[in-house]
Amino acid sequence: MKQTNAAPATDIKLRVADLHKSYGSHEVLKGVSLTAHAGDVISIIGSSGSGKSTFLRCINMLEHPNSGQIQLGGEELQLVADKKTGALRAASHKQLERIRTKLAMVFQHFNLWAHMTVLENIIEAPIHVLGLSRDEAIARARKYLDKVGLKDVEGKYPSHMSGGQQQRVAIARALAMEPEVMLFDEPTSALDPELVGEVLRVMQDLAREGRTMVVVTHEMGFAREVSNHVIFLHKGKIEEQGNPKEVLVNPQSERLAQFLSGSLK
Amino acid sequence: MIDFHLILDKLPAFLGGADGQPLLSTSDGIVMTLQLLGASLLLGMLLAIPLALGRVSKNRLLSGSVWLYTYVFRGTPLLVQLFIIYYGLSQFDAVRDSWMWQYLQDAWFCAILAFTLNTAAYTTEIIAGQIRTTHWGEIEAARAMGMSKWLMMRRIVIPSALRRALPAYSNEVIMMMQSTAVAGLVTLADITGVARRIYSDTYMAFEPFLVAGAIYLALTFLFVWLFKQAEQRWLAYLAPRKH
Repeated sequence: MKQTNAAPATDIKLRVADLHKSYGSHEVLKGVSLTAHAGDVISIIGSSGSGKSTFLRCINMLEHPNSGQIQLGGEELQLVADKKTGALRAASHKQLERIRTKLAMVFQHFNLWAHMTVLENIIEAPIHVLGLSRDEAIARARKYLDKVGLKDVEGKYPSHMSGGQQQRVAIARALAMEPEVMLFDEPTSALDPELVGEVLRVMQDLAREGRTMVVVTHEMGFAREVSNHVIFLHKGKIEEQGNPKEVLVNPQSERLAQFLSGSLK
Repeated sequence: MIDFHLILDKLPAFLGGADGQPLLSTSDGIVMTLQLLGASLLLGMLLAIPLALGRVSKNRLLSGSVWLYTYVFRGTPLLVQLFIIYYGLSQFDAVRDSWMWQYLQDAWFCAILAFTLNTAAYTTEIIAGQIRTTHWGEIEAARAMGMSKWLMMRRIVIPSALRRALPAYSNEVIMMMQSTAVAGLVTLADITGVARRIYSDTYMAFEPFLVAGAIYLALTFLFVWLFKQAEQRWLAYLAPRKH
């Protein structure tokens, strides 16, 4: 696959090659590949059922692909076929856990730990997974809460906040891992329309900082203005990809043209 | 007529002060009930957490064994369990000759053993139920952050399940307190045991059991209040927003 930005090969942060995934006889991913260089913001678009979320979730093995390769920062995730299901699983828990700490994920439904306050949510993994001291973790948490524009929320419980605030906490939680690549799984799809903007602005700031991001999204404005590469998935295959300013403005395939006419106003 | 004089006269007996002895000179009455309850609840909880993890395990043998244990102990009366442990086991020479006998001949030990095994069975099911209903998204978040399965259990799943188990567990504690009344049937002088002793000494039944009932009521009130405080503290996240 061809990237529009010409970065040296050593700059590759994430490489996913030829991912296949089936549920029973239904093949949802038919060989999807992706390469993210440092600073890339890749938007994955497509209608529901196109396999875009499944693809993202395969990258950190929340779903088990049937074949394919995943490389993070030059380290290949060792995969073996599970005898029972036939799908791939990590050969080593330790390696998978280490790679996951470098691949922070932001979910559609935030998935904050409900019984923990905002601060506890953010410092949990830095302390217990990365081994930071409590003071270091709290300093990180405050830094990233500030970055996502939240003040005076440290002691609040997620259920007492708006969806937009919760998603920004979830982004701060992901940032506190100081990951190599951030994965966003439809981060604004569960939000009320008036709350979408505050989350997109935070993501735009992160993109400007040069963070490497892979974003599954329905927000065509974000895909066009913020990302430097867009992938259009259709029925488990990459139908079209490239620079969003070209691909989204002047789609080559009929499928994408159809998709865009349905989602762009 | 109620004999108020008898009630006042015998009231100290419920606090270890029978027959003009100073209060708390023995552990009879309230202290015995609270000892039995406290020890069995504490040990029961320590057993119940690992058992609950076994109960929700994918290993059929493990979850099946725990299921059998909770089924047996929830499916038989506590009194029967206590009698089997205290009276039943002593008829086996092997038990009487073993190191266990020094404990199993002690009514206090047997009562705590029976109560512990009983409350652990109920508590296991309460906690296992809450573990099963952990929001899947919270588990995915923990995995995506690179947590190992054990770390996720220890830091996310169990703390969350224990909090959500509080309301059901407060019922278990109150039920268990009432159940300690059977301790009197293996010679222990808990609250009910003291009341029975007064009855057999005086042939007055209404007064001592009325007092015993009132004490249980007061203790229940105390536990309800304590659990309300605990829920306000640990289940605050489920409460409606106050601002």
